[in-house]
Amino acid sequence: MTLRHYFSLVDVQARMLLKADSSKFSLGFLWWFLEPLLWVSVFFLVFNLILDSGRKSGDFILFLTCGKFAFIWFSKTVSQASGSIIASQGLVGKVNMPKSLWPMSVVQESLYRQATVYLLLLLILVVFGVYPGAPWLWMIPVLAVMYLGIVACSLIGACLVCISRDFQKVIPLAMTFLLFTSGIFWDVRQIADQEKAALLLTANPLAFMIDAHRQILMHKQAPDLLHLGLIALASSVLIALSVGYMRKHSQYLALKVLT
Amino acid sequence: MTPENPQVMLELQDVSLSFRSSKGSFDDGVHHVLDGVSFKLYENETLGIVGRNGVGKTTMLRIMAGILAPTSGTVITRPDVAASLLTIGLGHRLDLNGRDNALLSAMLQGASKSEALGYLEEIKAFSELGDSFEEPVKTYSAGMKSRLGFTTALLTHVDILLVDEILSVGDAEFRQKAEQAMKQRISGNQTVVFVSHSNAQVKELCDRVLWIDKGKIRAEGDPEDTLAQYRASMKK
Repeated sequence: MTLRHYFSLVDVQARMLLKADSSKFSLGFLWWFLEPLLWVSVFFLVFNLILDSGRKSGDFILFLTCGKFAFIWFSKTVSQASGSIIASQGLVGKVNMPKSLWPMSVVQESLYRQATVYLLLLLILVVFGVYPGAPWLWMIPVLAVMYLGIVACSLIGACLVCISRDFQKVIPLAMTFLLFTSGIFWDVRQIADQEKAALLLTANPLAFMIDAHRQILMHKQAPDLLHLGLIALASSVLIALSVGYMRKHSQYLALKVLT
Repeated sequence: MTPENPQVMLELQDVSLSFRSSKGSFDDGVHHVLDGVSFKLYENETLGIVGRNGVGKTTMLRIMAGILAPTSGTVITRPDVAASLLTIGLGHRLDLNGRDNALLSAMLQGASKSEALGYLEEIKAFSELGDSFEEPVKTYSAGMKSRLGFTTALLTHVDILLVDEILSVGDAEFRQKAEQAMKQRISGNQTVVFVSHSNAQVKELCDRVLWIDKGKIRAEGDPEDTLAQYRASMKK
């Protein structure tokens, strides 16, 4: 299979997934925007109105929107991609395709969807009085690294679920854990203990990525490029390793899926 | 119809496949699907595989297509040869229409996007789905789904065609048309492995027949003889 065929198949599969998904619901593709907005509303209600975070409403809405929109991209994609090979059981038994095709199609689908969600994010920023500036261009490398991280986690998740379906039970839990530890509704920078904050940002790359979103979009600050580069490097190594594993053990994975 | 000096397209040498079931229910949870199977597949022949349900026919096709690897034994394929498994209903996505499903299936069988797009009108015409071709597959009857699946499968161009129970599709009229198309395909320069429960079809289409029982080859050779032995065993 040529790389060109592989990527055109990933692209067509991703478009079909989008089409199938939006045809299922009567609100169709509006759900792409409604879902993250509803999440932000829920978090706002709980943390600002009920628990009283002590922040100005407008600021807190922007803070939540940046964090939650980025987090949803990561969590939805990785959860869905992890189960994607198992979900295509019928096809896996009929065609000898690279196993990465299924998780990659999911990743690509959510990339197309997320592109519009980020446009909404920019619109919300403008509505709340944060206007575009040159530092926003830092989002380009940040989004590229975010994508690499998502691909790495999706491929690893898909391998793990093939090998043992028990991982399917663990992944949602892992996502909830990340939701609480990545600073979605609290600010990493407000942790009083500097060492603890630094440790969290190192140990949880997602916390760093989400903080970078806010620094660039809300405060027009450049991200820590060394840190960003290291995440990109680590993600690339993990992608290479998991693609290598999937190629070498394609038939083993197929047997695992089919039996 | 086997030529004078037949070239071996694919060879299975002492191939066994067993796997550990996720729930260890019997035999320590190890299932033996194939047990020391050896045979050669020659260029341009049509090889039939018969046997009861669950004796390992589909697994054998999957090994030939390279989807599964044998636990022991070797599979030798000529380097430039691609084998593809044809089954109806290549994972239809129910929310998509017939056209999109046909495009996806054709690409999954190895066609490039432009080739696949080129097949679509032909698929629409042969499957006789008419306007339903543009409707979501979830609105299709079982017969319509299998027509779509068969037609898409028929268009693949591969060196070794592995056919799994494909000719039991649609109503009588469409079945006849499907059989006719399949026969045309088989009689050309095409190496085919054909799994079927219809003895009449096997007798008519195949040059040679393998009878599989409990993961082993019980008999091999002339279709008439092998089928007679297979039938006799069922009457016991």
